[in-house]
This record gives sequence, C-alpha cells and structure tokens, in this order.
Amino acid sequence: MPEHPTTTAVHAYATARHFSTATRERWLRLAPGDQAVLLRLAERLRLGENQFRDFLDCSEDIAGRDGCTIGEVWAREPIATTLARDLGRNQMIAALRAALRLLRFPQLAAANARLAELVSQLHLPAGVRLHFPLHLEGDEVRVELHSRSAAALRECTAAVQRALENPALDEVFRTLEHTP
Amino acid sequence: MRQWRPEQIWISPGEEATPIARRVRAALPDVPRVTAEVGESSAADRFSAGKRRLVLQRHRGSWLQHCPAGTAGLVCCNYLVVNFASNCPYDCSYCFLQEYIANNPAIKAFTNIDDGLAEIATVLRAHPQRDFRIGTGELADSLALDPITGLTSDLVPFFAAHRNVTLELKTKSDCIDNLLRLDPQNRVVVSWSVNAPTICANDETGTASLSERIAAARRVQAAGYRVGFHFDPLIEHPGWAEGYRETVAMIAAAVDPRRVAWISLGSLRLSPGLLTAMRARPTTTQVLSGELVPGPDGKARVWRGLRMQMYRTVEGYLREAFPNVPSYLCMEPAGVWQHVRGEVPSDREVAQRLVAGAL
Repeated sequence: MPEHPTTTAVHAYATARHFSTATRERWLRLAPGDQAVLLRLAERLRLGENQFRDFLDCSEDIAGRDGCTIGEVWAREPIATTLARDLGRNQMIAALRAALRLLRFPQLAAANARLAELVSQLHLPAGVRLHFPLHLEGDEVRVELHSRSAAALRECTAAVQRALENPALDEVFRTLEHTP
Repeated sequence: MRQWRPEQIWISPGEEATPIARRVRAALPDVPRVTAEVGESSAADRFSAGKRRLVLQRHRGSWLQHCPAGTAGLVCCNYLVVNFASNCPYDCSYCFLQEYIANNPAIKAFTNIDDGLAEIATVLRAHPQRDFRIGTGELADSLALDPITGLTSDLVPFFAAHRNVTLELKTKSDCIDNLLRLDPQNRVVVSWSVNAPTICANDETGTASLSERIAAARRVQAAGYRVGFHFDPLIEHPGWAEGYRETVAMIAAAVDPRRVAWISLGSLRLSPGLLTAMRARPTTTQVLSGELVPGPDGKARVWRGLRMQMYRTVEGYLREAFPNVPSYLCMEPAGVWQHVRGEVPSDREVAQRLVAGAL
C-alpha cells in the first residue's frame, strides 16, 4: 500500500532535522490529520527535535485528557490567536509554549493568576518583589527588597508592613496550599 | 483467578532440582523449557517481551534492603524490602520498572529462597527488641507468580514462626488460593494496590479487576489474615474525586475494618527516564495528562497544591470509612504531612503505628 503523503513528508522532515527514531515513531503513530497539523507547525517554525517533542508531549497530554484530537487542541484558544500573531520564530515558539501551558495546566495556571491578582492587591512598590516556588512546588514565599537609598528602603519596608495587615496576604498562603 | 502463563521458561543450569523449579515444572508442564542462562531478547519492545519469559535463577548478593522510598527529606515508614522475584507479569502504564529494568529480558524468580530466609532470620535474631515490617512487592507483584512458584508456602510459615516481624505481601492480583491453606499466625498482612475504577480498568493491564481484588481481600481476611490497601499512585484524572470515593466505598462494603492493618496514600511520581519510557511505548494512557510538574528531586508529580487537595479529599473518605485504621503518606516531605494531616511524625512513630495496626 502506498505511503500517505503526510507520512512521506514527516519522514523527510524528521530525516532532515536528524530526529531520533523514538520521536519519529511517536509522530508517525499519530492519526494522519494530527501528523499534518504538527508537520505544518514544524515547517513553519523550523522546529528542532527538543522543541517539537515539547509541543508533541503537551498537545498529546491535552488531547488525552480532553478526549479530542491534537488538531483540535491546536485550533483552540489561546493557541489559535497566538498562531495568528505576527511574531518572529523564537517569540512565536515562546508564545505557543505559554499558550499550551495554559491548556495543559489549567488549575496551576489559575492558581498563578490568582496569586498575581492577590499580589496586586498588596499594593507593593517596585522595590518589593514576591517570589513563589517554581511550579508552586512549595509553600515558601521569598520577599525581595531593592533599594538605592535609605529613604527608598524605608518606603519598601513600610509597604511590606502594610501588606502584613492585608487579608490578601493570608489568601496568598491559602492559595499555595490550594485550600478552597 | 487469572494465572499468568509464560511462553517460555529458562532454568539456570544447576537449579533444576530446587523446590521453586520443581513447582514451576509441575504447574506448567506444557510450557517449553530451556536449561541455560537466559539470552538477550531481540524483540523491538523488549520490556513487553520480557514479561512473557520466566527465568529461574539464583539470587546473588544481599536480599534485605531498606525501601528506596526512604529518601532523605521525606517522612519514611522504616520499611524493609526483599525481592524473591524481579519484574512483573502485569503492565501498569505508570510502573517504574519500565525505566528501572527496561532491558530486563525476562521475569526472574529466584530459586535460592532458603538463602534469603536465612539472611532475614539472622537480622531478626540480631534485633529481638525491634519490630520489623518486610515487604516482597517492590520489584515484583508479591502474589502474581504464586500459583506457579508456590512461594507463599515458604514465606508464610517462616514469618508465622517469628515474633518480631510482619510480612507484607503487596499485590494487584487475586492469586490467594495458596494463602488460604496456610496459617499466618497474625504475622502476615496481605495488601492490595488499588486505584480509581477507571484507572484500574485502563492503566493496569493484566491485573485483577478492582472488584476481584476486593473480593480476594475479603476472602483472605476470613482466612485469618490482616489486609492493607495502598492508594498509590493517586492519579489526577477527570472525575478523580468521585472515582476514589467509589473505591473507598467498595472496600468499606466488603472488608472488616477491624482487620485492616494500614492504608497508604501516595501521589504519582515519575522520573524523567520513566516519563520518556512511558511516552515511547505504543500504548495510550491518560495518566500523563495530569498537572504534573518536576519537583526538587527531579520527579514529576501533580503540583503541590492540587496534590494536597487530592490527599485531603481521599483521606476524608478514608477517615469516614476506616476511622481507626492507621494511614500514612508515602514519599512526601514534612511540609505536605503538616498541611494534609496537621502533624509531622518521626519515621519511628510512623513505623510504630503501622506495627500496631498489623497486630
């Protein structure tokens, strides 16, 4: 039986980019429609193997969870809007990663958005930064003060002092524990 | 009962007359046998092919080891493991053996069981004041091979005769017929790894169904054994809360809570190598679709806030159904224990509670 044209094109792209056999086989196991969606993306953004595999992992996981095709994942918002933007290659790859992440980690993304909203309610000046653990994998909040003068430092510490009385701060820690 | 049947048996030269080899030959007279050291498999999916070959060989080296879950920084239950077999006939999508013994050409059942038991006896005699918990289910299911190896007929009498140890047989099978003929003298806990019904059905290939496992637990309880349950790995999937609630309810409806020794909870944890191995296999699983992020130890887990919500939820079901049964979290740091359970016991305290639950 002759090979599907998409399959031939996938082979050609994977060979030209020196993809490993494992990645190539995973790509070829997809339905032809999904192979084609990822091929268009790979060709447009000249994806290397690691970049391609990141997109494949993420979109496969979303499709598996939501019971849809990879093609349908890439047609969803915010991915579709991101793809329509006029961005350079590297910027587009970064923007697509961020868009995919919102779909891949909806509850984590919501917790991060909630934390950002709570931090804004603390009305901290630019010299005070709150840092949360990577992927919220911990409950420690790091507070960083930046200052070029004693007066500015006093202003920062006063702002932190006010934040301590703000209920939004308690909510920050509750959000890290994912306590409803 | 589902009895695993290999396609070929390899017996190491010199091991043909051992009790294990004799029992295997008697149980599987028509399976082709080779007396030779096992060779490499040429199959494309060596991991799957390895699950169809049985090798009977001597174990070399030390038998008794600390459970590898006792990593620094995590609350540990001071569990010891002994491996009388290596590799498993089942093929759970999330199993760490896919990475740990990826190139293993077969399922190995060790023939020099007496050597292992002698080593354990020496340790038990050397520490008469200490209460040990020893499990056989780390690198293999404790009971899946029992219908053909008859291993429990060696293990149960040995542990029944020692007063400072509890043996845990951990399984996803319903291979309990041999156990029903033995007297555990309250020194053996038979425990089942359980999960939400949809995970058991879709991601635990070859195992007994959830209801078969629970029915088996009921039967061994009636035969005098205490039982345990391990909700490990907890897997985030659509409807997880309802799924785990259903599993707890099924168990509570079937077993006597007074004879449940312990229940554990553990989150799905995947090393980078295991993630790669899982993605490379030509099977589909929803397990990877959870919100898994890399932790400080490099393993991917459901992110901490959601993980704690899952623990709290399932613990809530368990507290309601089994209020007096000791439970513990597996491979979690003090911070998670504190947030989930409001306490951080020492390793020794956890171990003491579990020993008490077993008696």
